[in-house]
Order: sequence, then C-alpha cells, then structure tokens
Amino acid sequence: MRIGDDGFRRLMNVPLLVSVALLVLYGSVMVQSATSGMAGGGGMFYRHLFGLGLGFVLLVVAWLIDYSKFAGWIGPLIFLNAFLILSPRIPGLGATAKGATSWLEIAGVRLFQPSEPAKLVTIVIMAAVIAQYKGRIEQPRDVAKILGILAIPLGLILLQPDLGTGLVFVAITMGMLLVGGLKVKWFVAFGLTVVLGLGLLLPIDAGLDAMAGKDVALKEYQKNRLLVFVDSSRDPKGAGYNLAQSKIAIGSGGLSGQGLGSGTQGNLNFLPERHTDFIFSVLGEELGFLGAALLLGLYLVLMITALEISVQSKDLFGSLIAAGLISMWAFQVLENVGMTIGLMPITGIPLPFMSFGSSAMITNLAGTGMLLSVWARRRRT
Amino acid sequence: MLDFRQHLKGRYAALAMIVLAILGILLVRLWSMQVLSGDDYVAMAENNRLREISIDAPRGRILDRNGTPLVTNRPSLAVVAAAGTKDDEELLNRLSALLGMNVEEIRERVSSVKEAALRPRVVMIDASKEIVAYLAEHEAEFPGVEVQVIPLREYPNGQVAAHILGYTGEISEAQIAEPDFEGYVLGDTVGKTGAERQFESVLQGDKGYRRIEVDAVGRPRNIVEETDPVPGRDIVLTIDLEVQRVAEEALMLALEEAHSDDFTSARAAAAVAVDVQTGEVLAMASLPTYDPQLFLGGISAADWERLNAKDSEYPLNNRATMALYPTASTFKVITGLAGLTYGTTSEWKMYRCDGRWTEMGEQWSKYCWKRAGGHGAVSFHRGIVDSCDTVFYEIGYDFYKQGDEKLQKYARQWGYGELTGIDLPGEVSGRMPDAAWKAAFNRNYPEFRTWLPGDTVNISIGQGDMLATPLQVAASYAGIANDGRIMRPHVLKQVLDSQGEPVIEMKPEVAFSPDVDPGHLAVIHRALVAVTQEGTGASAFRGFEAKVAGKTGTAEVAGKDDYAWFAAYAPAAEPRYAVAVVIEQGGHGGSVAGPAAREILSALLGLPVEHVKATDVSR
Repeated sequence: MRIGDDGFRRLMNVPLLVSVALLVLYGSVMVQSATSGMAGGGGMFYRHLFGLGLGFVLLVVAWLIDYSKFAGWIGPLIFLNAFLILSPRIPGLGATAKGATSWLEIAGVRLFQPSEPAKLVTIVIMAAVIAQYKGRIEQPRDVAKILGILAIPLGLILLQPDLGTGLVFVAITMGMLLVGGLKVKWFVAFGLTVVLGLGLLLPIDAGLDAMAGKDVALKEYQKNRLLVFVDSSRDPKGAGYNLAQSKIAIGSGGLSGQGLGSGTQGNLNFLPERHTDFIFSVLGEELGFLGAALLLGLYLVLMITALEISVQSKDLFGSLIAAGLISMWAFQVLENVGMTIGLMPITGIPLPFMSFGSSAMITNLAGTGMLLSVWARRRRT
Repeated sequence: MLDFRQHLKGRYAALAMIVLAILGILLVRLWSMQVLSGDDYVAMAENNRLREISIDAPRGRILDRNGTPLVTNRPSLAVVAAAGTKDDEELLNRLSALLGMNVEEIRERVSSVKEAALRPRVVMIDASKEIVAYLAEHEAEFPGVEVQVIPLREYPNGQVAAHILGYTGEISEAQIAEPDFEGYVLGDTVGKTGAERQFESVLQGDKGYRRIEVDAVGRPRNIVEETDPVPGRDIVLTIDLEVQRVAEEALMLALEEAHSDDFTSARAAAAVAVDVQTGEVLAMASLPTYDPQLFLGGISAADWERLNAKDSEYPLNNRATMALYPTASTFKVITGLAGLTYGTTSEWKMYRCDGRWTEMGEQWSKYCWKRAGGHGAVSFHRGIVDSCDTVFYEIGYDFYKQGDEKLQKYARQWGYGELTGIDLPGEVSGRMPDAAWKAAFNRNYPEFRTWLPGDTVNISIGQGDMLATPLQVAASYAGIANDGRIMRPHVLKQVLDSQGEPVIEMKPEVAFSPDVDPGHLAVIHRALVAVTQEGTGASAFRGFEAKVAGKTGTAEVAGKDDYAWFAAYAPAAEPRYAVAVVIEQGGHGGSVAGPAAREILSALLGLPVEHVKATDVSR
C-alpha cells in the first residue's frame, strides 16, 4: 500500500499535529520562562529550539517510512536496543549524571541520552512480539516469552541504574499487553506481585546491604526518594526539599497563576531542575490551575487521537505501536506531574513535549511520526 | 486481520479509561492544591522569599538640667561580617592582619549566636580611613565583609557622670526573659545600668523594618517594603553637669588629700547633692569610675575582667546608691532628734564627758573620740558641735533602757534601712539593726544572738551594725532642711518629644515624713550651723561665703582605715541643697570630706570653687 494514494487528506491527522504543535509551543514558552533567569539560560533556549527542529525532521522521516517493515526485525532491534542502553558504558563515550551512567558524551560534549530513543525501539520490539499472538495471550509460556524479551532492555536500564526509565518500560509493556489481549488474571497476578514486591523490597534491600556491607541493590538516594514520598517532612532540606518547594510553587499559582515569568519560586531558585524535571512546577506557579488544565487538555486530545489511530490501524502491530506510545506518554505525564504535586515518588522523568532536553523531545516527535505513519497506512473503510 | 478490532474493543475502552483516569486524578489534585488551598501555598511562598530585617532606631539623648548633652549618638564606620564567614580560615587571617585583631577574637564576634541570623556581626567599630579604603579596593578578597555605618553612643564629657548615665550593651538572654524587655530580640542594644537602663523604655524608640526578597541561598535580591524607625525620646536629667564635674574633681582631690595625710589606702569615695525641696539630684559621684566608651560595640574580655577584678574597688558600682557604710557622727542628728522627740534630752541639757564612759558597767566601758580628759561639762548642743560621743552614748543608753527599739523605729522614719526609691537601678536599703535582725543574723552563733545595751549605744553614734548609703544620708539632711519632709530623690526631670517639648515632667514627691517638732529641728539646725562656724567643720568652712549647716563623721571599719564623712545643707537661712560625702579610708571627716563638701556646695551656690586645706581630728 502506498501512501498518498488518496491524496493529502489520508496522510494528514490534524488533531494530532495541532495538539503536538501546541504542546511544543507551550513547552518552549515555559522553557524560555524557566531559563530566562538562569546563568546561561539564553543558550539553553536555543538548544531547546535546535532539538525541536531536529525532532520535526525525524517526525517527517518516521511518517514517510512504512512502520510495518519493522515487524520482521525483532532480533536486530533487540541488539540495537541493548547497544543503545549500553553505549554510555563504552569507555570515553559515557557520562554519569545524578548517579546514573546514561549520557553519551564525546570530547566532553554531552550529546544525548540513548535511553530516550530506546523507549521507541522497545515499543517497536514489544509490538512486534505481542502482535504475533493475534490478540490472545493466555499460556504461561507466552507470557514468559514476552516478559523475557522485556527483561533485556529493562535489566540493562536498571543497571545504569535508572529506575524511572525502567518504570516507563514496564508501563509501556503493560499498556501494550492490555491492548494486545493479555488475560485479565495475569494483570491481577502482576498487580499482586508488585504490591508484595514493594512491601518486601526495602527490608530485603536492607538485608542485602547488611550482608554485603555496602549498597547492593537500591542506592541510598533512591531509598530516600521512596521514603520521602511517604513522608515529605522527613528531610526538608534534602530529598523532601524538592517536593516541598514544588508543591509551594504549584499551590501558590492559584486559579490563574502569578503571571508568566513572575513566579518567585522559580526565579529565586527555590525550584530545583526547573527547566527539566520540574517544568510543570514553573507552569503551575506562573499560569495557575487554568494553565495546568490547558496542558492536561492538550494531552487528552493527543492521547485520544492516538487511540483513534490505534483503533484505525490496518494491523495489530501498528495498533500496538500506538498503544505503546499512549502508555509511554500517559505514564510520563502521571509520573512527572504526579511527583510535582506529591502523588508519585520523585524520579527524573521528563514531561513529554514540555521539558528542556533534546533527547526526549526528538524521541517524542519521532514517536509522533510513527503514529502518523500508522495513520497514513490505516485500514480503508 | 480485521477481527482484532472487534475482539479487542473492550481493551481500547480500558486504555481510554486509564488515560482519562490519570488526567482526571491529576486535575482533581491540582484543583484542590491551587484553587482550594492556594492561599496557604501563597503564604508559604511568601515565607520562603521574604525576610524581615529590623533597622535600629537611634536611642534618645540624655541631657543635663540645662540642656547640655550628656549622651548623644554618633555614626561609626564599622567593619561587619556575615555569620557564614566564621569557617573561612583564609578570610579570617586576612581580616586579622588588616584590623590588627587576633583571629580567635574575630571568630568569636562573627559566630555570636546572640544575633538574628541575617544581621551581620560587628567585628570592629570606628574603623580607620585606611581600613575602609583597603576593604573597598579589595572587595573580592573579603567576601561577606563590608563597612556599615552604625549608630553608637557618644559621651561628649568623657567619663563624667558615668554611674548616673550607665552604659549600653547587647541584650542578654536573661534580660530578654524579663517582662520589661517584651518584644526585644537578641542582638538589640539596651541600657544595662544607670539612666540608660532605668529609662530604657523611653530611650529605645521603635525599630524600623525592611522586608527584602531573598533567593534560595538567602542572597538579598530587592527591598519590598520599608518602615522608618522612630527615634527614642530625649530625656532631661536633674543633674547639673558643672556641679557633677566639680563633685567628681572634689572627690579626686579628697583622695589626694587623704594620701598626703598618710591615709594611703584611700581609693574610693562617693558624693551626692540633692535639692532639699524637690529631691532632684544635682550631682552624684562615685570613685573609682570607668569609661562607658569601653562598652561600645561590645566590651573586650580583658577590660571586663579588669573592671570586675577583686582588687579593682569595683568601679562599675555606683557607691552613692549601692555601697553601705556606717555613717558615724553624721547619724548623731538622728539620735539627737529621737532624744528630743521622746523628751530624753533638750538643747541645753548638760552631760559629763571624761573621755571614758562606764555607764553600762566597768567591763562595758566605751571611749569618746577625745579620750584624753574628754569634753568635760558639755551640753546637747555642744555635743553636736564638738561631736562628743559620750552625750550620744547617754541618749542611746536611755533608749535601750526604755525598750521597744524606739531609736531604730525613729531612724526608719527618716529613711534609714529603707529604700529612698530613687529612679536608678540597684539601690540598696541599708540596715537599721534591731533584736530580731540580730537573732536571725547570728542564728548559728547562739552566744551573739542577744541584743545588748552596747548595740543600741553603737547605733547612737552611727557605728555598730547600722549601715546606710550616701544617698540616704543626703536625703535625711535634706529632710532636716525641708522642715522634716524628705522628698524622693530622683534623676529624671523631663522626657522630651521629637520637637524638644516636655511630654513628661517629674513632680516632687514626699518619700518620708518623720514625726518631728519644728522646734526640735531648730535645735539641730542651730547646732549644725555652729559645727561649720566653731565646731568640727570650722576648719573646712573657714571663709566660706554662705552659711552652712553640716556635720562631720569618721567611721571605724574593722581592718580598714577610718572612713571620712561630711553631710551638710546650705544656705543655712533658706536651705536649698543637701550634700553627703564619704571618702573610704580617707581619715577624718573634718579634714578630708569637709573640703570636698565645701567645693560641691560652692558649685551649687554659684560661688567660686576653691580647694581648702583643713585640719580636724574629731570623729
């Protein structure tokens, strides 16, 4: 099937492109506001625009490529994915930030975080694997195979260690398994495992640390983040400080905000990471509940449109790619916004299309391109 | 291929529900935080970014009765440092070299926890131009250090009246707990002693405030709001600077005089001059004195130690109100008035003085100061003029025999053993001993508990266990001069408003009204005038232009040289001022204290002040 057979109208998805365009515009405005008072903030804004430009190029490329060709490339894609995630470990190429070796760096210049494009590659791999079951996944053997394939990128990402991105991988897979027809009893089993696992995680970790005499599994800061989530007054100047300051920023935004560029929490540096992980706190403070609701509304349009694309896909593989992207965005929005208002533990997950950071921006725009690719090749009614 | 859609319909719906649920939960939470609790978070954000810094109000000035400044304020260039600099060794070393102070002293000042967190600590006051210029040129080498103009107390007359004025200092943690200091914070400068302490509430003024916006690391960004401080009020004291100056010089001369008379231990003295009709204190001197400037910007540990050392004679104490002495023969006027009031003596009643007095029995014999031959036949009048002890032994012994401690009760009517209520901190009440006191005082020594005839007899000549302050002596003589009404001594005359107009004016107030007959006062008055004409004070007041009523005293203190006393009032015809002078270990009242009293009275009466040599060996 060639694209363009039915002309431009078949190619285009206006709600998707408009919602994405409005999101990146909104994001650029907030990044500009957040970085304007920072040292070197001007340069950051141009880097942000550069990432946007590159992202749109990749969007168009992905749009034009027929996604269904990837279905037969499971093996090579698994290798590509592993290579991406491991690449920061290559001597002379990697860089460590905030405890995780997750950056590619050449000659001291940080290029990008390979774990961001790895999310897309994982979506394609899992879609190809799950699509093989034609919407019915019942046998333990099948579940084990799917989880086994997920375990490769997940295990590698947890070794970086990057718990947050690992959780994104899990969320993506769960969303795809939902659409891919995994029996409900398995979801119940997964849920019970997670609850039990979390309940035992800290005691077991403490036990392992005690036996080995050092931090074996969870790092101290990761434990702190989890514990602070339970009790934010635990460490007001340390891990709890970020959460407290973020909540103050958002809460003080009120209905309509302090005004763009007028947020005191951001401008006076009370907000940490305000152009990246905590960009939503700046938005909440400066534009208030109305600004936040507008953002969530744009995400709603984006994800419902993506769901429509998923339903209209010509095949289950394309449908699952769309479901994976929806799951990724939904989880990242939940986690990122949730952590700024104290609903979720603090992790370093960017807000899609909003946070400063070219790797994530390019990944999300390329993902949009894949959605358009699925849309352009949808079934004919 | 197309059937997956039919089959998975429910699954798409579930994904849609999950997306809606996520966005819904976030939206509800945001509604609750931003719209419902928004105001609370706004308050937290304000609390985050706004700091309130207080601006000290200039303290009110202290003026003498003629409006001459005694304490004012001056701006001082002070080197101040942020509290955080205490850990910067290199910076402290550079500061130490520049200021010529040792590192530990600087660190101690910078790390003072007594200051509000954001207030920079004063490291040095009155920095020289060179230091200020150097700091300005080398700003980068001294992060956190700056030069600020701070207001300091200025003493245009140096040490004069130091005890009345008192000094200021940083509020102590003990003070801040007192109800008087409600609303004060650590780091505030307050009056510590004297008038500075007594009138703190009017001198202090109201602080100004500056609300500043700070960033996350506490760096000030800009000023949001400013309230100017309201300066403290000026106060006018009853002190006359010239009389005060003369009183202090007179005491110094008296000490020199004592030294030349071989009383080489004389190092301390006190004098008080009051207006007999109003109780206004015109001069109040205490030696040794101290320099209130030492306390500016915090007194150094070495100076503090020096001022409080055991052998320092405690120069910070105001002896006029805080020191207790036996008042010796100056007390004879009270014993005399008691005798006259109870009818046991009269102006011309005759006594016999042989030098040795054995009325209480041979084993309890006592001597008049004039041992050799005594005063012979001597009237009550003459007993005062020549300060004959025997006359007052007799009167005192009579009181003992009458019982009921009438002498002590009468003395208390004249303010002995009672606070005068002067408006200065730390006044002590002295002691007018009685049987109950003695029993309690010697509760561990049963053999000394009983009140003996000799106890009353000793009081009658101002010895034994009686103790009084120079102010009490001056007040009682002022009472004799003022028809038996003792006015409450005070140092505050007026409180002024910002235009210099009085808003509070002190009114004279009666402190004690002893039971006394005007005729009896006249008997005492005639005798006191004769003292300076022909008696024990004649030598000191020879050639003095005004007629003075006065009394010498020479107190015996165990283990020390005699303390010289002189108490007086003048002019005799229409008394206006009363004066009391004591020279510790100065020898005889007539020869050492008398001339000092003469000089003070000269200044009070507007007569030329001249120092006279006097000789008198009476007691």
